[in-house]
Amino acid sequence: MIAFLIRGILRDKSRFLFPFTVVSIGVALVVSLVGFMEGVFMGMIDMTANLDAGHLRLVNKPFYDEEHLRPLDRSLAGQKETRDWLKKNSPDEVEWSPRIRWGAILDVPDANGETLSQTPVVGMALELRAKNSKELKRMKIAESLVGGRLPESPNEMLMGNQLAETLGIGLGQSVTVLGQSFDGGMVADNYQVIGLVKFGVSAMDKKMVLIDIADAQNSFYMEDMITDWLGFFPPDYSLDEYEKVKVALQEPLKEWIASPPKSWAKDDEPILLSVRDQQNIGAIADKFYIIQGFVVGIFTFLMILVLWNAGILSGIHRYGEMGLRLAFGESHWKLILTLGIEGLVVGILGALAGSIFGGAFTYFLQEVGVNMGDSFAQTGMMINDVVRARLTIGGFVQGILPGIFASVAGTLVASLAIFKRSEANLFRELEAG
Amino acid sequence: MDKKLIVLNEVSKVFKVGEENFTALHEVSLEIDSGAFMSFVGPSGSGKTTLLNLIGGLDVPTTGNIFFKERGLSSMSREQMAEYRRENIGFIFQTYNLLPVYSVYENVLFPLLLNGDKEKDVRDRVMEIVAKVGLTDQLKKRPAQLSGGQCQRVAIARALVKDPLVILADEPTANLDTENSLQILELMRQLNRQYQAAVIFSTHDEKVTRYVRREVKLEDGRIVSDKNNVNGTA
Repeated sequence: MIAFLIRGILRDKSRFLFPFTVVSIGVALVVSLVGFMEGVFMGMIDMTANLDAGHLRLVNKPFYDEEHLRPLDRSLAGQKETRDWLKKNSPDEVEWSPRIRWGAILDVPDANGETLSQTPVVGMALELRAKNSKELKRMKIAESLVGGRLPESPNEMLMGNQLAETLGIGLGQSVTVLGQSFDGGMVADNYQVIGLVKFGVSAMDKKMVLIDIADAQNSFYMEDMITDWLGFFPPDYSLDEYEKVKVALQEPLKEWIASPPKSWAKDDEPILLSVRDQQNIGAIADKFYIIQGFVVGIFTFLMILVLWNAGILSGIHRYGEMGLRLAFGESHWKLILTLGIEGLVVGILGALAGSIFGGAFTYFLQEVGVNMGDSFAQTGMMINDVVRARLTIGGFVQGILPGIFASVAGTLVASLAIFKRSEANLFRELEAG
Repeated sequence: MDKKLIVLNEVSKVFKVGEENFTALHEVSLEIDSGAFMSFVGPSGSGKTTLLNLIGGLDVPTTGNIFFKERGLSSMSREQMAEYRRENIGFIFQTYNLLPVYSVYENVLFPLLLNGDKEKDVRDRVMEIVAKVGLTDQLKKRPAQLSGGQCQRVAIARALVKDPLVILADEPTANLDTENSLQILELMRQLNRQYQAAVIFSTHDEKVTRYVRREVKLEDGRIVSDKNNVNGTA
């Protein structure tokens, strides 16, 4: 019977095409919109993670508490032990990379060695020269180079292009890093600017310099010491999954702190943070998902509204059929049930078509992206110039389920009119035409 | 088989029209035998269709009782009434009311599927009935591709296919020309004899009255005459 009715729906374009099109468009819009919102948001998260926060971050608590001062004397010793511990206790898909956050004065000398200009800089040391370093790819450093090359020898520095412009520095020029070492002494070490980078993040391009981690350890007397271990997940992982791993690592971390490596200071206490815990991202994420829920809800409501009306129109169009079916002895309940099933089938077909269109569009936005560099140029947002959508199972679920629900609910709400009418009334309308 | 198939006992039907009550039927009493071939005749508003709806279980009387094989319809629930219609009643309409998106075969199949039958189990039955009404060569056509007479034949086949005890035909010839009307009436008379389903027409078409074995005249919701073998052609 159901197959028979479905055959009828598919043949009757006036009954099928409109609700099918509404569901398809609705689902395609939701899948695309959720994919785009998710892509923009997770793009920001990934950018923040890659450049600064990691999806997970192991940091010494005394350092973290005074992070704004970049207190290198609170760095965590035992680089090798820490790497081994992280590899042993975290899932294989998490990649851990050491970083040193440092701050210093950058002194630019003239031809006579006199100070030409000076500025405070935010420094990040990472594995720039190490073989098979994933940091280069992760931070897209090669793609971000707007001049020069990557460091190959000790004491070579990459500099934000806007910072270089402000300081009037050209490629190959020497600069002096003036700062404080791990043991509280004065640091004055020369570096050669061999590459200019543009991350597309204004805050970084204006203030940041990058050096190799071995050079930082050498300059700041930080042998076997690291300020941060950043953990990175593959691209399709969600914020919740970062949290799960973080929670799972808490117990082993406690045990590790209870019997620490000999190289640790007495008050060393590494803590594990997720990207949610940093830079207020948790609160932003919560608000983002509430807004996303509203957007999906509004779309679903609009779809129900349109499908309800479509259902009423279809119902009026089909009063003859309804009257006939009742006359032939189909019960009201069965009639409504079959209408619901029809709505379900139209919803499923529409949702499938919408998913294909929405999914294809989202995939296109994911692979090609939209260049919004001009819009972001003046902002300090940590976001890539090319905004990409993200195709996720969650995006499909948020599109498909409301689409099917809207189709069934719209049909059922519309069919209430039939349910309330008596057989004789429907029959009279059947006879009337 | 019990000869008295349907018994109406002082049946009245009152409709509320705005603030007013309109009495469509006044204490109508009637007995209809199995295999009857009869008509309700009368002008518009005389209560013919109301009477058909009550017998067909589409409406319930305001007062009085209707018995089908001695079982009262008034005491039936909505579900039981649907079951009563499904198992016992076939309908034929003035405007055919075929489902336009389905073929001749599918239109005739439809009531059997509503009955819960599987298509493969009833295919032969459908083919047999379609053959009886002379539409075997039109099996795959849709209603829009058929003439009025052919559409009414499909409607007859659809009413007969589930082998009902009663067929209610509301002005079945009103939309047909004389030739087609006579063919349809002849066909229904043959099928009435063959299948023994009681056929009850509601009509004011004189051609119909020439064919039926019993004619019940209605005026203002009252039976004014009830004659058997009116013209003796049956």
